Amino acid sequence: MMRFSKLFLPLIFLASAFAQDWIKTGTGLGVDKVRLAVPDFTAAGQDPKNAELLKVFNETLWNDLDNAGIFDMVSKSFYPLGQVGNPADVKFESWSAAPPSAAMLAFGNLSASGNGMTVQGWLYDVKNVTSPQVLGKQYQDAATSDAARITAHKFADEIIFRLGGGIAGIAESKIYFVSSRGGHKEVWAMDYDGANQHAVTHLNSISLSPRVSPDGSRIAFSSMTKNGWEILMYSLDLNRLVSFPRFGGTNLSPAWSSDGTKLAFSSSRSGDPEIYTVDSSGANLKRVTSFKGPDVSPAWNRKTGAQIAWVSGRTGLPQVYTMEADGTNVQRLTDQGYAVSPAWSPNGQFLVVSWMRKYGPGAPGAQDIYIMDIASKQWVQLTHDGGRNDFPCWSPDGRHIIFQSSRAGTLQIWTMLADGTNQKQLTFAGSNTQPNWSWK
Amino acid sequence: MAANAEIFFEHDRWGRNLTWSLVLHVAVAGSILFYAVVVPTSHGEGWGVGGGGDAMGVTLVSTVPLPAKPTQTQNVLANDSKGVTQSEPKPVEKVPEPDAIPIPDKISKTKPVPKTSATKEKAKPEPVQEADNVVPFGQGGPVSGPYGTFSANGAKGGFGFTGGGGDFGSRYAWYVRVVQQKVSENWLKYEVDPRISTAQRVYITFDVMRDGRPANVQVEQSSGVPSLDQSATRAIQRIDTFGPLPSDYAANKVSVEFWFDYKR
Repeated sequence: MMRFSKLFLPLIFLASAFAQDWIKTGTGLGVDKVRLAVPDFTAAGQDPKNAELLKVFNETLWNDLDNAGIFDMVSKSFYPLGQVGNPADVKFESWSAAPPSAAMLAFGNLSASGNGMTVQGWLYDVKNVTSPQVLGKQYQDAATSDAARITAHKFADEIIFRLGGGIAGIAESKIYFVSSRGGHKEVWAMDYDGANQHAVTHLNSISLSPRVSPDGSRIAFSSMTKNGWEILMYSLDLNRLVSFPRFGGTNLSPAWSSDGTKLAFSSSRSGDPEIYTVDSSGANLKRVTSFKGPDVSPAWNRKTGAQIAWVSGRTGLPQVYTMEADGTNVQRLTDQGYAVSPAWSPNGQFLVVSWMRKYGPGAPGAQDIYIMDIASKQWVQLTHDGGRNDFPCWSPDGRHIIFQSSRAGTLQIWTMLADGTNQKQLTFAGSNTQPNWSWK
Repeated sequence: MAANAEIFFEHDRWGRNLTWSLVLHVAVAGSILFYAVVVPTSHGEGWGVGGGGDAMGVTLVSTVPLPAKPTQTQNVLANDSKGVTQSEPKPVEKVPEPDAIPIPDKISKTKPVPKTSATKEKAKPEPVQEADNVVPFGQGGPVSGPYGTFSANGAKGGFGFTGGGGDFGSRYAWYVRVVQQKVSENWLKYEVDPRISTAQRVYITFDVMRDGRPANVQVEQSSGVPSLDQSATRAIQRIDTFGPLPSDYAANKVSVEFWFDYKR
């Protein structure tokens, strides 16, 4: 048998060698960020609208790629002279060599004609002269700055999808939050970069904790009604409230399961606030927890949909726990202090929580955002800048976290990379809280 | 004016109200004292005391899907990673002025490449396995594709490719990089037995299907440490997708050999 295999091994190898390609690689090679150069897109025509559209497009594209967290953007001052609008304009040597030392080059052109706009974009691997093209795209849309922004988002998402390992970009995602800038606390929405902020609900009441469904069609939130705090359901397709049962008691913080079929929320209908689950239609109400002390703020495991993290006050101060969705296998995750607002990462591996590790008299702890690896219970502190940081939520790509912070004086919404870097303020007017990132 | 004067000179009888107020104040103060002194056991001490979970702080959770900083960089270019201290002596000693800008390590690295690539080419007609064992890719074999450069210092290998058109690595170097990054991100070193400080290299092979999904994960050569083999296998299995294969790539799958060097 051995002899047989030795005899035929080369043959088998040859055969398989012709059938497929092999990659051989390993750890310890150092994975650096991709150095990406993005020269401004050029105008491909003489249309007077070009300049304005290009300004919006270039700005948006640069910001999207810069915010993605996986690129090392080559500063524009390093770029070789001359515009790059077409593949013929690319001088590989001048991009891959020393001053820019770019690995990748994203370039293209934009032309408006009449009411239409055409954008051509390429992504080139400039160190690979023989077959440089990674991506080539053409977009057509109306010649408005909104359309230019969306086109830039789309192209950025394509680049991030290719170079980021199949994780879709988030440039087209939305953020829902609570804003009081109209006088009442209403649900608002904005693009992921803070653009295009607008009110969604107009209930003239107090609305809190908006949570968008995985398919992006509905928002569940808790709102002060005539009968107290109830879960309300708002359809983004119909732009109005749709019916959802009233459960009585105080019902807060709804959370969607990852398949969109269930909601978990906390209800005090039986006295103590406890976690309940209910179908997204409102049927099939089930009580999951029955512990002394309040149980609030549920969050589903976004990967499996089989577990719920929540906040329990059974030991006095609130702590974060996890359990199976049927209430079994309760595990405590935080060991001390005051921990609230758990949110599960899209890959199911991490929780992000808002935590005061030192709490109580004589220990003026700051409230900061932490991520915790659930299996190993290792945690990392992400914010350090003071202020109270709360209500963290993951982006769909698992690379960003959005949260509210009081560090700017008022409560505003901030975003950062999931390693705590690149913190940016997104909202500025009024008081803006409880952000929730759409699922895609 | 007369009406105002009347209000001021009118005398209310507030003795009774005053007594009520006094009684209430005393009651509130009393109850505060009672709760503070008589029943202090249930409040205060228990707050924020550890005991439930066993959470521990670490410096970095490396598995967030963001590129981790490379362990060692001696890159002189604008880069926020370390390397400034080490780069000082080298340019002074070794390189004359015009050559001072390129990184000296890379120059020294490229030298061994042609030597060993010759041996590698010889080995090709012979059984491929043996050649693998003799010359680890990247240490000697042809540094494949434009990304050969990022086998930086401290690297124990580069990546290579064999078979087929044989040009996947050079045509789609960006994809190879994605594979490498994704696997590195998803390798949780804490799954390895903590008593192990160093181990043999473990080789894992798997296929990347057209849609980017990994399949057929196998341990090709064990490290001799079961927990390390398992953590390496799990690193691949944990990945949903590497992203679809390049659209102009003809075949249905790419096979990957991935090695893991473990050192604590």
